[in-house]
Amino acid sequence: MFAYYMRLALASFRRNPGLTALMVFAIALGISVCMIMLTSFRAAARNPAGERSGILFAASIDSWDPKDGYESPQTDEETGRPVAPTMLTYRDARALFDSKIPDRKAIMFKAGGIFSRADKGMEPEYISTRMTTADFFGMFETPFLFGGPWNANADAGPDPVVVLSKETNQKAFGGANSVGKTVRWHDREFRVIGVLNDWEPYPKYFDVSNGSFSDMEGAYIPFSWGQVLELGSDGNTNCWKTETIDSFKAFLNSECIWFHGWFELRTADQQRAFREFLDNYVVEQKKHGRFPRPLNNYLYDVSGWLQRNKVVGDDNRALLMMAFAFLAVCLVNTVGLLLAKFLNAAPIAGIRRALGASRRDIFWQHLAESGVVALAGGVTGGLLGLAGVYSLRAWYGRFEDAVPRILPIDPANFLLAIAIAVAAGLLAGLYPAWRIGRAAPASYLKGQ
Amino acid sequence: MLSMNNVSKVFRTDLIETHALRNFSLDVKAGEFLAVTGPSGSGKTTFLNIAGLLEPYETGSYKLDDVEVTDLSDDARSALRNQKIGFIFQSFNLMPDLNIYDNVDVPLRYRRMKYAERHKRITNALEIVGLAARMKHVPAQLSGGQQQRVAIARAIAGDPKLILADEPTGNLDSLMARQVMDLLEKINEMGTTIILVTHDPELARRAHRNVQVVDGQISDFKPYEPHAAPGVAERGSAAAGA
Amino acid sequence: MEMRPILSALLRNRAGAILVAIQIAITLAIVVNAVYLTQQRVTKIGRPSGIDDQNVFSFSVTGFEKGFDFHAMVRDDMALLRQMPGIIDAAPIRQVPLSGGGSSSGFFSLPDKKGKESPANYFPTDEHGAGTLGVTLSAGGTFDPAVVEHKDQDGQVPPPQAIVSQGFATALFPDQQALGKTFYDDQGSPMKIVGIIQHMHGSWVGWDKVDRVILFPRVGPGPGTRYIVRTAPGEIDRVMTATEMALRKRDPNRVIGKLRKMSDDKNASYAGDSLVAVTLSVVTSLVLIFSALGIFGLSTFNVNTRTRQIGTRRAVGARRRDIVRYFMTENWFITTLGVFVGCLLALGVGYWLATQYQLPRLDLYYLVAGVGGLWVVGQLAAWQPSMRAAKVSPAMATRTV
Repeated sequence: MFAYYMRLALASFRRNPGLTALMVFAIALGISVCMIMLTSFRAAARNPAGERSGILFAASIDSWDPKDGYESPQTDEETGRPVAPTMLTYRDARALFDSKIPDRKAIMFKAGGIFSRADKGMEPEYISTRMTTADFFGMFETPFLFGGPWNANADAGPDPVVVLSKETNQKAFGGANSVGKTVRWHDREFRVIGVLNDWEPYPKYFDVSNGSFSDMEGAYIPFSWGQVLELGSDGNTNCWKTETIDSFKAFLNSECIWFHGWFELRTADQQRAFREFLDNYVVEQKKHGRFPRPLNNYLYDVSGWLQRNKVVGDDNRALLMMAFAFLAVCLVNTVGLLLAKFLNAAPIAGIRRALGASRRDIFWQHLAESGVVALAGGVTGGLLGLAGVYSLRAWYGRFEDAVPRILPIDPANFLLAIAIAVAAGLLAGLYPAWRIGRAAPASYLKGQ
Repeated sequence: MLSMNNVSKVFRTDLIETHALRNFSLDVKAGEFLAVTGPSGSGKTTFLNIAGLLEPYETGSYKLDDVEVTDLSDDARSALRNQKIGFIFQSFNLMPDLNIYDNVDVPLRYRRMKYAERHKRITNALEIVGLAARMKHVPAQLSGGQQQRVAIARAIAGDPKLILADEPTGNLDSLMARQVMDLLEKINEMGTTIILVTHDPELARRAHRNVQVVDGQISDFKPYEPHAAPGVAERGSAAAGA
Repeated sequence: MEMRPILSALLRNRAGAILVAIQIAITLAIVVNAVYLTQQRVTKIGRPSGIDDQNVFSFSVTGFEKGFDFHAMVRDDMALLRQMPGIIDAAPIRQVPLSGGGSSSGFFSLPDKKGKESPANYFPTDEHGAGTLGVTLSAGGTFDPAVVEHKDQDGQVPPPQAIVSQGFATALFPDQQALGKTFYDDQGSPMKIVGIIQHMHGSWVGWDKVDRVILFPRVGPGPGTRYIVRTAPGEIDRVMTATEMALRKRDPNRVIGKLRKMSDDKNASYAGDSLVAVTLSVVTSLVLIFSALGIFGLSTFNVNTRTRQIGTRRAVGARRRDIVRYFMTENWFITTLGVFVGCLLALGVGYWLATQYQLPRLDLYYLVAGVGGLWVVGQLAAWQPSMRAAKVSPAMATRTV
């Protein structure tokens, strides 16, 4: 029966190509705008941590200014309390790292420096570097092309080892297996212990402080080298307290925040225990005069962290809503057009009723027709949307490198657009199909 | 076959009440060829619509093939229409965007028949009306008489027990009209009950029995008369004065 | 004009009319808010930066060899750049305005963190900084070269002189001539204002205090810094290529980062706002077109289904213009209903946007303009179908087909 309705729908379109084209176009326009907005929304709303999203936690403890909350007047939606800083001081990062509760843990910050090769085999280049600890690679599932990460002993040393990104390895060694070779950084030789494969976990959830879609770092070096080489942050550094900072040591001991801490807590018990640990730690620190604000700690899993950092921005949401409002207008238009079309064809429906079609038969036949129009509109709209995404990428990509990550070409968006179109089209067709099913057949057969 | 008893149909608008049928009673035997005549506005079209389950009625009862129709649901009435009744209209009412084959196919689809069964019935019906060769043509390519014959094929494809014809020759010239009436007679001989609504007395004479409708009621009642058409006298229910 | 019969006839055939009214309502809600939001973004993007941003480019320079003399490098680079043809001026600077990267801190009009307070985006640079940026100094002048510090260590104490933007000066010293005044950092270190920039934007265009900028006379510490270069109009592409070549030739032993036009930085900073403005504009236009088409379509449909009625009216004495008036009046009902509902919807959406996304409340001027505009569009769209209706022949009354 469904195949029969399809045939009838197509015959009806051939009969009235102009009106059909108008309907398809109306839906297509609405869908294309939705698809573009969906593309940027889904890219921002993506949670790259996958299954690990529920067991990776970022610590956010409120070491901030007693007079003014961090990012006030923003408050946490769940608790109503003010939000806490999203970075840690050096002392707090080290202290949290000492906890034995997490299965794995990583503290990190972003530094920079010029990489070169002692044998001059590489064009020296300033490359941003992530200073972190051994577990980072396992926790964030970095794919390795050659070699592997360093271990906890290397962190202790610290050993002069480095993990290169695929891109950096290309620049330094032409892409060859460089494990065992050395590079120069800040006047030291670092031995390559691993090379990562392509890795684009956007949004860049483990450090969104300089943009969720900014470039991935080019190299990874054990955290302690940051203190040995007295490196400051290439990312954000925020300080609230008036302190005398006249040496790097004083800087490390200050209330300036520039570190991130991530902790793997697999069970609910561990999570609870770690929360208690955070609270106890802060209470303990208060005795030394630190943490002047009321106790206000947060432990965010990945999706909570993304929300806290507003990775899906207000603009994203507003644009998506605008797109759906536009689709609503297109749909109202379509309902009108379908109504006109169906009522025009009412005499034919009357004949079918006389020949034995029930109201439901007529209803399903016309609903199927709406569905076909919607499908055509969805496919057309999807293609239009794709063209739109390509255009935007070309236009904005001229001066903003992150654009391809913000507007990725993802076939899921195309399919989603079609699905929305069909659902919307069927919805739009409900009333017109019902209307035409309801009409008494005799009224159309009279006046012969 | 068809038995209406005191059926009334009223059309109401804000200002006027029109009694299209008043206490209308009629019995039609299986295998009859009945002509219903009357002036325009007399209610004969309304009678046909009610007989064909196209319109509801206010009071009275209507039995079609021993099934009481009054309280049936829309689904049940559609099914009954589909299986027991075949329609032939004055303006043919073929689907313009379907070809002849698909046009005859329409009622069979609503019976959820399988392809093989449908195909057999369609080719059969088109052969009876003599248009099997034009199966792939669309209505626009046929003359008026041919279109009406297609409509007849559509009406008989489902083997209905009753055929309702509303001025079937109204839009045809006399030659085509005669062809159509010959077909109807042939179908009636094969056992189908036919009710023909017309205002043409010439056509009415070709039926077994005439009934006149005036002001929503049966006025004249010509009794059953043996007709000079072959095979009719053998009909089991053919008792005089039925 | 017989309003009541027209209205009751319309009510009996509601579906099409309701659809158009809904469409008008949603259109009004969308258009009013979208235009308002677009206007805000366009205004934001259109703000002048105070900098000659179309003719400035920047890049980083970092030394890496042992025994590398940072200050000598800067001195020699600047000497080279400042005499190159096509280059108006060049200066070292820690971070680049409009690039999204920079430093800020809090400053006070009195020592001990007293008096008026304001944060500011500060840029350590030399005496050529203001000239390279192309900003207008409304009072005072640029730094004396002798005052510019050449540091080898990052110190906590800022230089005792500063050039500030008017935005910052007004915040700290409202209604006063700020030139010559002294302000303080949170440690109480004093800085004297030797020059006031009429208007300048800092690093973060999304910051509501982006026009509060301080230039400090300080270069270094190394091993790297950024350079800004201002070119003669129209020469920027040529000069960028020439600059890179010249600097590499002079000293190949340092890393020269990618040369970037400030106009590209600016566009990148405003890319998000631009996308919002473009999207909203496209949606607004399309929505208006759709509504016009919808009204046109419904009016045409109405006319086509009522030819017999029109013919009958004409047959009993209606003139052509009575028919036109009939359909325009009918359309007027629908449009008015749609506009009325649309007003409520527009205000509702405006209110929701304001609370959800911390935007300023909808300016009623837009609502009034939207109502008027949409009403006109609604009537215009029904014009042609109404004219067509008037042409229907009175003979239609007697036709049966």
